[in-house]
Amino acid sequence: MAKPTVILVGADKGGVGKTTIARTLLDYFAADNTPARAFDTESPRGTLKRFHPEVTEVVDLTAIPDQMKVFDTLGNSAARVTVIDVRAGLLSTTLQALSDIGFLEQAKRGHISLAVFHILGPSIASLQEIAEMSRFVRNANYFLVKNFINNTTFFDWDPETYNSYFKQLTDVGEITVPKLNEMACEQVEVASVPFVSFVANKNAKGEPADNSFVLRGYVRHWLRQVWGEFDRVNLIDLVAPKAEKNDAKLKASRASK
Amino acid sequence: MSLRNSVIIVASPRPRVGKTLLARLLTDFHLHERRAVAAFDVNAGERTLAQFLPEQAMKSTIDDIKGQMALFDRLIAADGTDKIVDLGHASFESFFTLAAQIGFVEEARGRGIAAAVLFLITPDHASVEAYNGLQNRLPGAVLVPVHNEILGSAQVRHKYGLLGLGTVVVRLTQLAPGLRKYVETPPFSFSQPRLAGGAGAPDEVENELQHWLRRNYLELREIDLRILLRDLRSSIRL
Repeated sequence: MAKPTVILVGADKGGVGKTTIARTLLDYFAADNTPARAFDTESPRGTLKRFHPEVTEVVDLTAIPDQMKVFDTLGNSAARVTVIDVRAGLLSTTLQALSDIGFLEQAKRGHISLAVFHILGPSIASLQEIAEMSRFVRNANYFLVKNFINNTTFFDWDPETYNSYFKQLTDVGEITVPKLNEMACEQVEVASVPFVSFVANKNAKGEPADNSFVLRGYVRHWLRQVWGEFDRVNLIDLVAPKAEKNDAKLKASRASK
Repeated sequence: MSLRNSVIIVASPRPRVGKTLLARLLTDFHLHERRAVAAFDVNAGERTLAQFLPEQAMKSTIDDIKGQMALFDRLIAADGTDKIVDLGHASFESFFTLAAQIGFVEEARGRGIAAAVLFLITPDHASVEAYNGLQNRLPGAVLVPVHNEILGSAQVRHKYGLLGLGTVVVRLTQLAPGLRKYVETPPFSFSQPRLAGGAGAPDEVENELQHWLRRNYLELREIDLRILLRDLRSSIRL
């Protein structure tokens, strides 16, 4: 049986777009026909749940019952991927909690596939956050995400400073999310639908909507660029490594004969 | 799916090659054929399409998102109207970059609208590159090379690799210099009863203008056939 994948999406400060990234991930896996579920830790009211209500639950990861809801069900959930949108500023705290309950040990032993999407902020404070992450992510797929969707500028770290923080991290992926036109961004927010639904001109009920073709085109183009980044870092392979895929194909081929 | 309406973009990366004249003729051709038509003037400067045909053409811009929405959302509207775009040279690159990015041709075809580009061919390298580029950027569009005879010999077609491929180059026939003054002052429509204006102009002038107009309308029918043929080919493939 394929091991479950958990993707933590977090940031050291709010407003950097981690929920936006979580949304693109859910759309990405849906397009790949990979069942995914999400947990929104912005308890009691989640932002992620507004866009993906059918696959998202709002939880409080500081509470044991909700921890059980998330992690005790990894092995028996129909969803291959669990995306956790971590409340701003709590990424390190969350990883510490996961370490305490043995979750990171499970990842180290290969029972679970773990990825951390660390959405960077514009200041050098992010570098300190990266340094703090190093002890948690040694057995995880760690991705630094620069989100330009809001025209953010990022601190230009000089190579020496950059290397001094990164020397403890051996395998770090970098993902760049390009800018999306402000009006397109705003209209998707107003529509309160997944990006793919907006592109398909559907409302929250799945009925035809009346979204601007131009704005849908901008979102489609932007989403393709984001997914291109996910493809580039082989994100799908985290969920279904090539060996597993080949085995599955072989089994399916034998079963059909 | 049969394409019932079309969007025709008149374009060239170079100025003063006859784009607005061609757009005017196209618009008036549609009126002559009693077909619903709306024209969009993406041009700056004087003697633009909107000035010649204020009732059929509206000024448009793609410089900001609102202008882009106002133009493109209207172009793909399945409202039973053919659309003509007079694309100024300054907007050539940004227009086609945006069109490719947002999937304009695919969206149009999905709504039963054919997208065609009438490209005024000139011998310069930049234009040749732009023409070849359009074939790659908008593979679903009907690309029609147009030669404006006032610019000189039609030998320019060899620079576009058009010789021997069966690609017909549509001609924009030249109007005698002495007759241009009758048609170059806006507002002016080729569908008006008398092209040479009110009393005073000799009948020979009017006859010459009408003869020139009919020759160009014959060429514009070639564009109609080109779009229809592309539609039939697509239907057969499907």
